[in-house]
Amino acid sequence: MPVRKEVPMLEINQLKAGYEDKVIIEVPQLALSSGEHCLILGSSGSGKTTLLCTLAGLLTPLGGEIRLDGQNLEELRGSALDVFRGRHIGIIYQALHMVSALTVLQNLLLAQYAAGLRQDRNKAVALLEQLGIADKRDDKPETLSQGQQQRVAIARAAINGPKIIVGDEPTSALDDSSCETVMELLLRLAASSNASLVIATHDQRIKRHFHKQITIGGAQ
Amino acid sequence: MNSLSLSYAYLRHKVLSTALTITTFAAGVAMIVVMLLVNAQLQNEFSSNLKGIDLVVGGKGSPMQLILSSVFHLDVPTGNIPLDEAEKLGKHPMIKEAIPLALGDNYQGFRIVGTTQAYPAHYQAMMKPGGRYWEKEMEAVLGAEVAAKSGLKPGDTFSGSHGLTSGGELHSEFPYKVVGILEPTGTVVDRLALTGRESVWYIHEHHDHDHDEDADEHRNEAHHHGNDHADEHDHEHEHGHGHEHEHEREITALLISYNSPLAAVGLPRLVNSTTSMQAASPAFEIARLTAFMGTGTETLKYFAWFLIILAGFGIFAGLYNAMNERRYDLALMRSFGARPGKLFALMMSESLVVSLISVAVGLMMGHLLVEGIATWLAGTKHIHMTGRLFLPEEIWLIPTTLIVGALAALLPAVRVYRIDIFKTLVQR
Repeated sequence: MPVRKEVPMLEINQLKAGYEDKVIIEVPQLALSSGEHCLILGSSGSGKTTLLCTLAGLLTPLGGEIRLDGQNLEELRGSALDVFRGRHIGIIYQALHMVSALTVLQNLLLAQYAAGLRQDRNKAVALLEQLGIADKRDDKPETLSQGQQQRVAIARAAINGPKIIVGDEPTSALDDSSCETVMELLLRLAASSNASLVIATHDQRIKRHFHKQITIGGAQ
Repeated sequence: MNSLSLSYAYLRHKVLSTALTITTFAAGVAMIVVMLLVNAQLQNEFSSNLKGIDLVVGGKGSPMQLILSSVFHLDVPTGNIPLDEAEKLGKHPMIKEAIPLALGDNYQGFRIVGTTQAYPAHYQAMMKPGGRYWEKEMEAVLGAEVAAKSGLKPGDTFSGSHGLTSGGELHSEFPYKVVGILEPTGTVVDRLALTGRESVWYIHEHHDHDHDEDADEHRNEAHHHGNDHADEHDHEHEHGHGHEHEHEREITALLISYNSPLAAVGLPRLVNSTTSMQAASPAFEIARLTAFMGTGTETLKYFAWFLIILAGFGIFAGLYNAMNERRYDLALMRSFGARPGKLFALMMSESLVVSLISVAVGLMMGHLLVEGIATWLAGTKHIHMTGRLFLPEEIWLIPTTLIVGALAALLPAVRVYRIDIFKTLVQR
């Protein structure tokens, strides 16, 4: 895939991330072009999650700037930021956060509904098929295994065709073989929609899939 | 997926607490419905029976008893009044119509009323085809319900029994002949057997002559039968009839309608002070009665509102808890791009769905309950009710319960605006 450095998908300058006015992590410079992935490595408590949430627009930067597809996140306020996030950023939470009142398929439709996009059942089913869990579409999430739930979370993050998918420890709860499968699925999904993956983890097993890596906290 | 289907999914997910909230809410609505229906039908029962009767004149005693006995045929009479005195009063220029009533006997618990054709005419009773009014003694016309319950048809005969409730001595030697049956009127006439006054006098005069050996007793009782109204079982004597002299005939009461509203000023006082009779105003007595009963219905009404407000708190608590449990889901939806307004609408629609189901269930329960009460009351012969009556006031229950539901959801719904996504989903 040709990399066009002149139009970065994600651009970070002198970013200070943290919450409640406490800077936890500073990232001087980072740029990802469209479809380029990045791994954020660090031990727990190093601020990976804080950085990830700031990238995803869940936290307001305490300094510096984040540009996503040319849009400075700081310029978006209130529900405009919600809408932007809903359409351009896919989020995989560490705690997954499945909606237990809804079925697997409805969990995907919920993401489309929340973003105010057309609810495309076929697309959701196709996505579940791609991830090998289409037969679970009418089950409640809590009846699924951890690995299966992880895949639902991935499908839900990807369904709105985001430009960037951020994942917080998406593999660390999985055994080796599930970890490989999930990683492959994530990469394949990102490639098919030309999305950038930004994964925060301390899971050393997935390092080899990323050639852009930043390590935060402790010794660089 | 929309806020309705989402609400539905959430309500189904916690079906037990949903059912509890709906039950409480619906119980409140049903209580109100029962009260509205019962009240309206009792009022209607009163007003249709009272229609056009301005004054009731009868024996001295309790005025309310006089009204209950001679207008609604519920209580026993206060005693009798002399016919000639009643007739003299009936000719008063301020009186438009004076309908005489002579009570004394019953047929299977339905009262036999000796009167004139003016009585059924007053309630606009229509004769069923093939029937006619009485022309001579011992001919009777049956109210619709009496005919239906007894199965009597024109041409059949029946014997009255002494007293105003069933079980008295049977006058089998004086059978009545049915000559007509009235169409249902929705008034007390449906539950009466009507005949000429002459029939009542005829039975009791002959009856008394048959018991000449009891003459002593009769004379003694002549002193008190005027006000010994409660003594129904003293069947020989509770209705004073002129047993000694034929010309001293008596009737039980006179139903009077005025010619002019001015009559209300002087006429009752005239009767009460210058005659041996008592005059009672039905409107006044019924107002007194509803004031007594009103305390009860008022209490019930407050209780019903209390239930509804309780259900509102139930919805509030339920939604507030649900909101707490669901703050992850709501924060998740925010993080997926849902505007707070969308989540506000979701919480509101959930509460409104619950309220709407509750009001529907409550309306149904209320009507079924009244229908049940009606079936139960049907055996008592006095009060007629139905659950198949729909009042315009019931419409107001729908917006009212929706408002209660909306108010209950307001605080939890407003909280979605202050959700901190990061703290809720990530930090915990």
